[in-house]
Amino acid sequence: MRYTKDHEWAKLEGKRVRVGITDHAQTELTDVVYVELPAVGKSVKHGEPIGTVESVKAVSEIFAPASGTVVEVNKTLVNQPELVNKDPYGSGWMVVLEASDPKEVSSLMDPAAYRHHIGE
Amino acid sequence: MLATTEGERPILIVRDAWLLDLGRRPYREVWEWQKSLVDRRADDRIPDGLILVEHEPIATLGRRGKREDVLDPNLEIVEVERGGEATYHGPGQLVGYPILKLPDRLEVKQLVTDLEEVLIRTCRDFGIEATREGPERGVWVGRKKIASIGLAVRRSVTFHGFALNVTTDLREFLKIRPCGHDGGIMTSMAESLGRKFDLEDVKASVIAHFQGVFGFTLRRVDVSELLRERPADPKRHRP
Repeated sequence: MRYTKDHEWAKLEGKRVRVGITDHAQTELTDVVYVELPAVGKSVKHGEPIGTVESVKAVSEIFAPASGTVVEVNKTLVNQPELVNKDPYGSGWMVVLEASDPKEVSSLMDPAAYRHHIGE
Repeated sequence: MLATTEGERPILIVRDAWLLDLGRRPYREVWEWQKSLVDRRADDRIPDGLILVEHEPIATLGRRGKREDVLDPNLEIVEVERGGEATYHGPGQLVGYPILKLPDRLEVKQLVTDLEEVLIRTCRDFGIEATREGPERGVWVGRKKIASIGLAVRRSVTFHGFALNVTTDLREFLKIRPCGHDGGIMTSMAESLGRKFDLEDVKASVIAHFQGVFGFTLRRVDVSELLRERPADPKRHRP
């Protein structure tokens, strides 16, 4: 598992990257009430917004942790956005990308670096 | 509020920020300005700032807003990118849009808390005891909502903001279902105290508390000063 400074996690599954927000992010954001996800087939660049999450009356962006193509989105979140809070690394996943360069993911923060980033 | 220590002595860092006090302006025009200012703030071409404005009557729908929450077909509707559901803007309501760069996306929760604090202190200046204790975020007087909050963050910069009912005609809220509630849930400063208010007095109080809570010194600017240069990105106006 790798992490971004914007509190997303990225998990390599072969050439694919599964993306969600971290447990720390969901704890800080509190109740996620809305998730907006990209269309399957959309090509995205590293660092580009690929969706939004809303909590505490604020909508903020989710960014692509790597360049590639969106191959899966978690449609369950449309009706059950609370899964992001309940199971951020499991059923609360958001997007799967087919990465054009999986090395982009390996260069993100490792768990120790992310723990340092959030001051743990 | 930012504070640091030099030796034993705590020092408050006061940062310069701009204040765009627009008087009464149509919603869509100010919405376009907000988006331009977000880009300019993201590119560090302008510092943080605050827009204060009063709008002509309009209903806006946040990301979760439903068109059926606007009950009056004659009320103009705009669908926007902020959090929250349906709300109404109109004369007598002081609307504030903080354009602030967040060092970390998770600070958005603290920002909502800080904006509530500004509005609670403003109400207190006029003898109104307001709290955060309601069914959702915002500012409440008893069981009624006096101010609504709905924000968006793009490229780490905040926009949209708060709406404080000063002398708002509360019957207008009956034309919508504010955040899915019955329109009767809304109140105003005028209704809370049963007297008239001058919006300018309330504005002065909001400015003072915004400076205090956020550690800013606000400098009045006009919109042409903030948007003076040509936009950096020519693709900006593409849909």
